[in-house]
Amino acid sequence: MFYALVFLLLGMLVVMIVLSTNPAPFYGVFNLVLVALLCCGASVLHGGTFLSLVLLMIYMGGMLVVFIYSSALSADKDPKAPTGWQVVLFFFGYFFFVFGILYTNMVLDEEVWWGVSGEMDWDAVFRGDMDGVSLMYSSGGGVLLLGAWVLLLTLLVVLELVRGLGRGALRAV
Amino acid sequence: MNPYITASLLFGLLLGTTITTTSTHWLIAWMGLEINTLAIIPLMAQQHHPRAIEATTKYFLTQAAAAATLLLAATTNAWMTGQWELQQATHPVPTTMITIALALKIGLAPLHTWLPEVMQGLDLTTGLILATWQKIAPFSLLLQIQPNNQTLLILLAILSMLVGGWGGLNQTQVRKILAYSSIAHLGWMVIILQFSPTLAVMTLALYIIMTSSTFLAFMMNKTTTIGTLTISWAKTPIISSLMPLILLSLGGLPPLTGFMPKWLILQELTKQDLGMTATLAALSALLSLYFYLRLSYAMTLTISPNNLTGTLPWRTQTNKKTLPTAILLSSSILLLPLTPEVLTLFNT
Repeated sequence: MFYALVFLLLGMLVVMIVLSTNPAPFYGVFNLVLVALLCCGASVLHGGTFLSLVLLMIYMGGMLVVFIYSSALSADKDPKAPTGWQVVLFFFGYFFFVFGILYTNMVLDEEVWWGVSGEMDWDAVFRGDMDGVSLMYSSGGGVLLLGAWVLLLTLLVVLELVRGLGRGALRAV
Repeated sequence: MNPYITASLLFGLLLGTTITTTSTHWLIAWMGLEINTLAIIPLMAQQHHPRAIEATTKYFLTQAAAAATLLLAATTNAWMTGQWELQQATHPVPTTMITIALALKIGLAPLHTWLPEVMQGLDLTTGLILATWQKIAPFSLLLQIQPNNQTLLILLAILSMLVGGWGGLNQTQVRKILAYSSIAHLGWMVIILQFSPTLAVMTLALYIIMTSSTFLAFMMNKTTTIGTLTISWAKTPIISSLMPLILLSLGGLPPLTGFMPKWLILQELTKQDLGMTATLAALSALLSLYFYLRLSYAMTLTISPNNLTGTLPWRTQTNKKTLPTAILLSSSILLLPLTPEVLTLFNT
C-alpha cells in the first residue's frame, strides 16, 4: 500500500510539473484529468473514499466538457508537445522547488499532521467526508442554498457573456 | 443588458462582499470573493468591445489565480490545524500564501500589473466599482489575518506606494492614472494595517469617498484622457474649478480631507519607531502628487482655447444625477476639521 501511495504521489507531482511546463492547452487538459485521477487515488488510500468518488465523478464530467470545448475552440492545428531542453530545465526546477518546500516545511516540522480527517481513529463509525455531506443537508442548509444561488448566478454570467453571436464575447477579434 | 440580469448581478456584487465581510469561516469567505468576481464579469464585458473583453479576461484570470491560491492556503491551514476560523490562520506558510493571494486580489505591487490594464478597458462606471467596492471584501480579509512577521506587509506597502507614484508619472490616460493612484493608496492602507487597523479602515473609507467623487466628476465630463480634460471648463465650470481640490485631496495636501489619513498614518508610524518607513512613505506621496497636479493643471489651471460655440455647453442643463456627486465632492474636500469625529466613528 505504501509503495502504491508513493507511486501515486510521485506521479501527481510529475504530471503537475508536465502540466505547468506544457505549451499547448490541448495536452494540458489531458494532464489535468491525469492529476485528478492520481489525486483521487491518493485520497482513497488515505481513507477518503466517498470524497474522492464524488470528486472524480463531478470533475470528470466538468473536464470532459472543458476538453471538448478546448479542442473545439482553441483552433490549434498541431498543438506543441512539451519538448526541448527548456522543458527539462523547468521540469527539474519545479521538481526541486516543490520538493524543497515540502521537505523544509512539512517533513522537518513534525507538529504538522497531513492526513484525511478521521484517518487515525480507525474504529470510528462515521467518516469525516460522509458526515460532512449529511451535515450539508441539515444544519449546513444555508451554505447549500448559497451554493445553489452561486451556480444560478454562474449560469446567468455565462449566458450573458456568450449572448449575441457576433456581438458577444466569444468571437474571433 | 436585460434589467433583471443587471439587478441580479448587482445583487451578486452586494451579496459577495457582505458574505466575505461577515464570515468567520475561510471557505465561506472564499465563496464571497468568488461571487464578487463572477458578478462583475458581465458588467465589465457589457460593451462587447474588444478592449473590454480583454480587460475582462485579464481580470478573470488574475482573480481566479488569487482565489485559487487563497483556497489552497485556507485548506492547507485547515489540514494543518483542524479548523477554518478566519482569525486563526497561525502557521506561517498558509498565512504568507493568504497575504500574497489577497495582495494579488486588491492589486498591491509587485502583483499590481493587472490593475491599470483592466481599468483602461472599462467604462468609468464599472471602473468606479472596480476601484472602490471590489476592494472592500479582500481588504476585510487582509485586516483579519494575523501575520507572523511585519516585513512582508511593509515591503508590499512601500513597493505599492513607490510603484503607484512612478507608474502614474508618464500616463496620459485618466483611468490608468486613477489605477496607479489606487495602487498607491492601497500601499498607505497596508502599511498601517498591523499597527492600527482603525486607521487602515478609515483610510479605505476616505479613499473610497475621494475616488468616487473623482470618478463621478470625470463621468460628468465624459473624460478619459488628459486631452479631453482641457475642455471641461466649458462643460461644467463649477466641477472644473473644484477638481484641483479633489485631486490634491487624493494627493494628501492640507487642509483637505486626504491629508487626514496620511497625517495620522505618519504619526502612528513615528510612534512605532519606524522613522525610515514613514519618511519613505511621505516622499513617495510626492511622486503621486506630481500626476494629480498635472491633471489639475490640464483641467483648471489653464484655459485651453476653443471656438465660440465650443465654450457654451455649460448653459445646457445636465440630466445626470448630481446629488451623489455633490455630497461625495464636498466630503472629499471638507472633512479635515472633523478628524476626531471620523476617528471615533472607525474606532473599534
